[in-house]
Amino acid sequence: MTATPAADIPTVRPAAPHPRRRFSAATQDAIFAYGLVLPVVLLLIGLVGYPFFYAIYVSFTDRVVGNDGQWIGLANFRYLAGAPAFSSAIWNTVVLVVVTGLLKLAIGLGLALLVNQHLPGRGLFRSFLMLPWAMPAFVAYLTWRVMFQPIGGGINLVLTNTGLYPHIVDWLGQRSTAMPSVILAAVWRGFPFWFVSILAALQTIPNELYEAARVDGATAWQRFRNVTWPGIRQVVIITTLLSSIWTANSFEHVWLLTQGGPSDATMVFPVLAYFGMQTQRLGEAAAVSVAMLPVLMILVFVATSMMQNREDRD
Amino acid sequence: MTQRFHWSRRHILKTTVAGAAALAAGRSALAAPALVKGSKLTYWGGLIFSEKANKLLVDTVNKWGADNGIQTECVMINQNETVQKVSAAVASNTMPDALDLSPDLLLVLSRQGVFALVDELYETIGKAQGGWYPAIATSTDTTKLAGGRTGIPYGASGNLLLRRNDILAKAGFPNPPTTWDELVTQAAAVNKPPLFGLGLALSNVGDGNVQVSVMQSYGGRIADDAGKTVTIKSEATRAYLAWLKGAWDKKIFPPGVTTWDGAGDNQAYLAGQAAFIANTGSVGIAAKSQDPELYQGTLYSSLPGGPKGVVSPIQPNLRSIPKTSKNPDAARALIEHLSQPAFMNAYFENAIYGPVLQDQAKLKAFTGGDPILTGLRDLVQKGTAPAFPDVYNAAYADMLTNFIIPKMAQRVVIDGWDFDRAMDEAQTRTQAIYDKYK
Repeated sequence: MTATPAADIPTVRPAAPHPRRRFSAATQDAIFAYGLVLPVVLLLIGLVGYPFFYAIYVSFTDRVVGNDGQWIGLANFRYLAGAPAFSSAIWNTVVLVVVTGLLKLAIGLGLALLVNQHLPGRGLFRSFLMLPWAMPAFVAYLTWRVMFQPIGGGINLVLTNTGLYPHIVDWLGQRSTAMPSVILAAVWRGFPFWFVSILAALQTIPNELYEAARVDGATAWQRFRNVTWPGIRQVVIITTLLSSIWTANSFEHVWLLTQGGPSDATMVFPVLAYFGMQTQRLGEAAAVSVAMLPVLMILVFVATSMMQNREDRD
Repeated sequence: MTQRFHWSRRHILKTTVAGAAALAAGRSALAAPALVKGSKLTYWGGLIFSEKANKLLVDTVNKWGADNGIQTECVMINQNETVQKVSAAVASNTMPDALDLSPDLLLVLSRQGVFALVDELYETIGKAQGGWYPAIATSTDTTKLAGGRTGIPYGASGNLLLRRNDILAKAGFPNPPTTWDELVTQAAAVNKPPLFGLGLALSNVGDGNVQVSVMQSYGGRIADDAGKTVTIKSEATRAYLAWLKGAWDKKIFPPGVTTWDGAGDNQAYLAGQAAFIANTGSVGIAAKSQDPELYQGTLYSSLPGGPKGVVSPIQPNLRSIPKTSKNPDAARALIEHLSQPAFMNAYFENAIYGPVLQDQAKLKAFTGGDPILTGLRDLVQKGTAPAFPDVYNAAYADMLTNFIIPKMAQRVVIDGWDFDRAMDEAQTRTQAIYDKYK
């Protein structure tokens, strides 16, 4: 029997090849980058995504405090659609958002154009105009409530003492004046945001453009239309969208002034949702908020797209 | 040799007595709550406008804890925020060991099985102090909902009619009005703006729900005797609306009543803008310190009546123990301790609550001549159970929270709707609410 050479010769194993890199350098960089942002993504999912989608889920249940409830499909939305307060809330929210938006635009733009001129005491005037925004909302609206008081309220005192209107007006207690009063207070509190945004945009327009326009014989309106407006248009649109979202979601101005009354003359979505919460019927309250979601989501989408485009362009 | 034991008659008797005593001792030991030294107890007290009363409650809870070796944490919760805080606590399973709450909230949460049963404690406290007032006993009975009682009443509130006697007496009205029509007559007689006659809230706040009582005193009902089918639209409700419209057209309501917040009537009365208001008595306390002249000129009476009599609901406030309590025995012992007459007398003297137990009416707080406390005692003794003549159930509480009747009133006086249209809307909206509870 002959031994096979292979059995006698100690086996020399070939050196193990270097393990092949499973990922390219670019992929590894990407994984590393994703790893870095992962905690933030998880945080956003936990703090923003989960409550958001959970609220949508709750709106399809009959959940009350102390009971998770059952899936009831669109029943909450059907109930809301039949409630007169819901249709009032839709109309009032639209009126509030549109009218306050237009007024804030007019006042904010007018004041920004004024303050953008070389005037003495301009800095002080700018700071002064920011005061309503700096004031806590509840202080501002309670002050307005006092001013609107029929007896002893500042507005009626001025009107009666100056003889402009000798009768007491129940500003917040009449259907005809309640919403205009709420709008007035909301505009007062909100216009500084518009003012400061538009002023910032105005200051980015080079002076040379105005000088060139003057040399060409452009009138003030032509200068505004062809130089100023193109320079601030993007900011105005974004401010409009943001302000609309905030106004539609805002609770304190209506709650502190009228609590949605008289009757349902100033009922808006957030106040209606709050009434739902007071009855511990969480499903219904969530349905009110979810009902206004599509419109707000469109506004949010448009606003973020425009801001993104602007950033890309810059 | 073992001695045989003989059961003598005396021996049997002695053994029987000893056995009975041991059994009784054992039973009482079983009944006594087992307080675990060093354990913790969280209590949510109802914050009221009286700082003295709030401090007294906190101090008493903490002293009881120190005496019994229990670490107490007494958190005072603004009663306007109880619903939100309790709702969040139930959802997140962070309820305290015991808490103060309103019957409306108790009713809703008892349906969900949130609270432990406290029948034994209820009986013990009742027997020790002359029994519970019948209206208190019936209005806080959650047996049908939860299989037993879930709350221990500790104080009753409700609306009194406050009137400017200094002005009304001079106008020839020394006595309080006994009917709503008389009220309008008296209010119209002294109505000289900026003093307006009738400061009843018609807004979307709790005070606005006084209108429910007015409607019921006219015979109007929210629902049938089963508490299921809504019956707002009726001739009786029409009569109530006619009364309201008549008063409104006389311009005796102060401007702003349709948007008053919870303090609207208080402020109007303190500012001298209303001759009558319906209030728990807190205005009187405020006037005592802020405007002694107004306090002296104010008198208190029960709410007036309508064609069907007086409807003056009592609102009991309760203490409950959540099922999630980690220290339920200590919570029971604390609630029993807080029902002791010495503490309650001091508490009643500072808080605007009426008695809930028969013997409490004999406490110095209610016999000392304070007009507000006397009025509250009378309210408990003569007032009506919550919702009477309607059925007090979760749907009724939901109807109150939605301010259906004040809103119906606003439809008539603000929007100028005719009575049928306003009643139809109230009927439809309320039936939708009641249907949710079927």
